[in-house]
Amino acid sequence: MRIVIAGAGSVGRYMAGQLSKAGHDVTIVDNDPDALGRDEAQLWKRVLGDACEVDVLSRAGCATAEVVAAVTGDDEDNLVISLLAKQEFGAPRVVARVNNPNNEWMYNEMWGVDVSVSTPHLLTALVEEAVNVGSFVRILSFEHGRAQLAEVTLASSSPAVGRPIGEIGLPRESVVVAVVRDGHVVHPSDDLRLRDADEVLVLVVGESEAQVKSILVGATEVE
Amino acid sequence: MAFLRRTRREEATLVGSDCTPLGQLHARVRAKVSGQVVRMRARPARGLPSLEVVLDDGTGRAVAVWSGRRSIGGITLGRHLLLEGVAVDSESGLTFLNPAYELLSSGH
Repeated sequence: MRIVIAGAGSVGRYMAGQLSKAGHDVTIVDNDPDALGRDEAQLWKRVLGDACEVDVLSRAGCATAEVVAAVTGDDEDNLVISLLAKQEFGAPRVVARVNNPNNEWMYNEMWGVDVSVSTPHLLTALVEEAVNVGSFVRILSFEHGRAQLAEVTLASSSPAVGRPIGEIGLPRESVVVAVVRDGHVVHPSDDLRLRDADEVLVLVVGESEAQVKSILVGATEVE
Repeated sequence: MAFLRRTRREEATLVGSDCTPLGQLHARVRAKVSGQVVRMRARPARGLPSLEVVLDDGTGRAVAVWSGRRSIGGITLGRHLLLEGVAVDSESGLTFLNPAYELLSSGH
């Protein structure tokens, strides 16, 4: 498939790498020669220029590209590129990146956008999807990954349900930071008895993650 | 009147020479087409106004969509138009997005 990517930031370059490896014919456009890179293996074509200009898009091969992806860090640029790709080149599929979620409403067919990808929304969706009852979800990591903030929504089968926090036997390197119950934050004192459907936020340091997981989730989930 | 006739003849030459018949129009190729407006509607896309016009030249049909407006002065049912742009394949047929347009005299 012929793909034109506008924007050689980390997103664009990552996409170019992945898509070229998958065997696609990729051209990446950026007006910054440093962003385009000089020493990288010539896996994809590079076009230097402002992707908001028709002749630059033309040089990049938009007229025959099946997909044009506007993934710069600037929403205005992405919208202009999308419109030009659709209006001037009839690109069958225009994918655009939303940087500021407040601008997402403009990413529609009026601006030539077929598919918009909003990182904040995607993250929210992924988090919502991931935050299932009874699974251990890593939310943040600190200290170069040595410390993790994780969340577990307790399933009724969890061995911790019905027991006070002080007695569930968490390892020393971990601490319950908060318990969210019915939408309210409850202070995680040692004598707080955990209930089914409690959301337990726990800070885990070092190697104790597996142990914490087995205490809060139970032995059912094996990875 | 002679002037008018000449204008019309020039249009006829123009329309005849470099216009692609709608029946031979392909997607993704920059083309000039002409035809008569046979259908038009203001079609709001996600709450934003847009004008959709169906053009027929006897050999086929194509759609033109102008976004951000509900009407364009001079574009009415039965009007002959000259469009220039790149058509995209869409559900409603070959569609020009915001094409350059010219109003041709209705007697054409």
